[in-house]
Amino acid sequence: MRSPDAAIVQRAPLHPLLAKELREIVSGRALWTMLLILCPLVGYSFWQAVLLYGEASAAARDAPVLASGLSPLDGVLVPTFGALYVAVTLLFPFVAIRSLGREKETGALRLLLQLPYRVPTLIAAKMTAIFGAWLVALIPAASAVVIWAMLGGHLYVPEAANLVLGHLLYGLLVGAIALFAASISESSATAAIIALAFTIGSWVLDFALAGQPGALEWFSRLSLTQTLRTFEQGLLSPGLLLGVMAAICGFAALSAVWLHPGVPPRTRFMRSIACVAAVAAVLALATQVRTSVDLTEDRRNSFPAADQRALAGLREPLLVTVRLAPEDPRYVDLRRNVLAKLERALPDVSIRLATSGQSVVGSSSDEAYGEIEYSYAGRADKSRSTSPREILPLLYALAGKPTPPPGTGEEYPGYPLVADGRWTLPWFLVGLPLLIVIAWWRSRRPPQIPAQLINKGGQA
Amino acid sequence: MTGSTAIQSDRTAAYAPALMEVSGVTKRYGEQRALAGISFAVNPGEVLGLIGPNGAGKTTLLEAIAGLVPVDGGRILWRGTSPALPHRREFMFYLPDGLRPWEDEYVTRVVEFFAAAYGRPASITADAIGALGLAPVLRKRVGALSKGYGRRLMLALALITPQPLLLMDEPFDGFDLRQTREIMAVVRDVARNGRTLVLAIHQLIDAERVCDRFVLLADGRVRGVGTLAELRARTAMASAGLEEVFLALT
Repeated sequence: MRSPDAAIVQRAPLHPLLAKELREIVSGRALWTMLLILCPLVGYSFWQAVLLYGEASAAARDAPVLASGLSPLDGVLVPTFGALYVAVTLLFPFVAIRSLGREKETGALRLLLQLPYRVPTLIAAKMTAIFGAWLVALIPAASAVVIWAMLGGHLYVPEAANLVLGHLLYGLLVGAIALFAASISESSATAAIIALAFTIGSWVLDFALAGQPGALEWFSRLSLTQTLRTFEQGLLSPGLLLGVMAAICGFAALSAVWLHPGVPPRTRFMRSIACVAAVAAVLALATQVRTSVDLTEDRRNSFPAADQRALAGLREPLLVTVRLAPEDPRYVDLRRNVLAKLERALPDVSIRLATSGQSVVGSSSDEAYGEIEYSYAGRADKSRSTSPREILPLLYALAGKPTPPPGTGEEYPGYPLVADGRWTLPWFLVGLPLLIVIAWWRSRRPPQIPAQLINKGGQA
Repeated sequence: MTGSTAIQSDRTAAYAPALMEVSGVTKRYGEQRALAGISFAVNPGEVLGLIGPNGAGKTTLLEAIAGLVPVDGGRILWRGTSPALPHRREFMFYLPDGLRPWEDEYVTRVVEFFAAAYGRPASITADAIGALGLAPVLRKRVGALSKGYGRRLMLALALITPQPLLLMDEPFDGFDLRQTREIMAVVRDVARNGRTLVLAIHQLIDAERVCDRFVLLADGRVRGVGTLAELRARTAMASAGLEEVFLALT
């Protein structure tokens, strides 16, 4: 409804709001504290990773075949960014909560809601500020990557960028959860408890339920940390991307639903249900997207190119029946070396665990335990191997196709590096923290007052 | 008094037609009734005082009008039509009591943020800063302000906003006698310049000095609406002050 009496406040500029939200996060101690804690965490992880990578590289000098197993992604990047993951899990919620929690506690939210911004705009601005805070939190890990390059370490940009993307999505997801927690809580402390229940609860899910059969295994997939696993393996999965984005948008939308105190509770509940239903629908859709791109330089998630092409031509459904307990190390090997790659290479693969509910100990007397049966086009064969070298010929035989000749020149060379990473510790323990303290001090300096504001602004 | 009757009698005042009408607003917190069918009208350019003791429902009523609290019943009409909740902020700005927002921000940044959000020219911001004497604290953090300057900052933010109706909760709290008079002069000046003000005040002496008309509230109910003269006539107390009238009607 418009009226000549209404103030012309329909389209407020975004930049003042964005600047305010960024200042709100930067002016709090949470971000700076997290940064200072991140420095030694990332620094020690990086130093340890470089040290261990160097020891493995020294061994590879004497046995060059070992060099092909040396990938900077596994050896250096994933452990270094692991420190960022810990900080984002435990500390980032406090940073994100500040963007809303203080405004709720001080009553500033009641002013903010009257400004000419729509509630979704307010939430989007806060999410942008949270993204900015995550970028700042990335500085120690980013500096570790730069140091790695300076040490002469190899970087394969697609897999490194994919890893950073995974951490970004995880950070935004934690931020969105924290924002939602702040929107439904009256105090920052309560919001922190709710947000940490999500993040630490995910750890519990990981430790307690991962590898468990049946529904427990499905339940463990709800863990937030599962978001990162695929990216750490060097896979870019559009389905996962869609699912995580839907979850981030869902929590942000729920924050918007619960932000305005003037909306009746019944309306909020109805909108929340609609929001959850929409996100659930997108998540269901995302689970149907099975394609993924292997961005690793060593193509660890794929069979050799010739096999990939040959397997893509097997159009009949392949049924794999596995008689192994999920916690059996052989199953873990089989899953990583064969099954996961088959799922990516073949158009139609079904995998069935025939030992659901059984443990390794309980199944040891069963003679069939350990067998893996492959059924394709009405024919079946069994194997106990977990190696693709034995299983792929078996599959080609079932399909009546010849085994493709191995390709040449696609072997991963590996990137051994024996580097002296001792000097990196002073950077992470002294240099970078000092720069952070200086940046914090500079951020607290009073601003300049525009002359036109004080022309008439004398004493009362 | 029913909602329609209250508005009817209110319309007989010299200020018709009403800018805003509050009609039968009801609010409960569980078993507790905070507002019971509150109805009154606000006329353009006037300073209307919501008068009542602590717990009378003044703050709840202002928050309900501003749309910051969901109501159980009743309507807010602007020029006779009922704006949707998100549109109310186009007509009115509510300044809550006791706020100290964005404590880590510098005063100048808070003021500039409000001015930029509303696209207000620097001259209006400078006028607000000048009227409320904020210049000496512009480079201070909001959290470091004294109570008085904190209140001045909040009033400055309200003055910067462009909406035709200002709702203020206890605008004179935290000021000494001299400062209160200065702020009253600022408030009267705002009304003279065409804005309408609804002030929740529990100090009856302050209210009598600054308001044109009064809505007397007690226990979540309207006990009287009108100018002091009209309220005196209702109580047959020809020379009584607002205090005596209020006591007689509640």
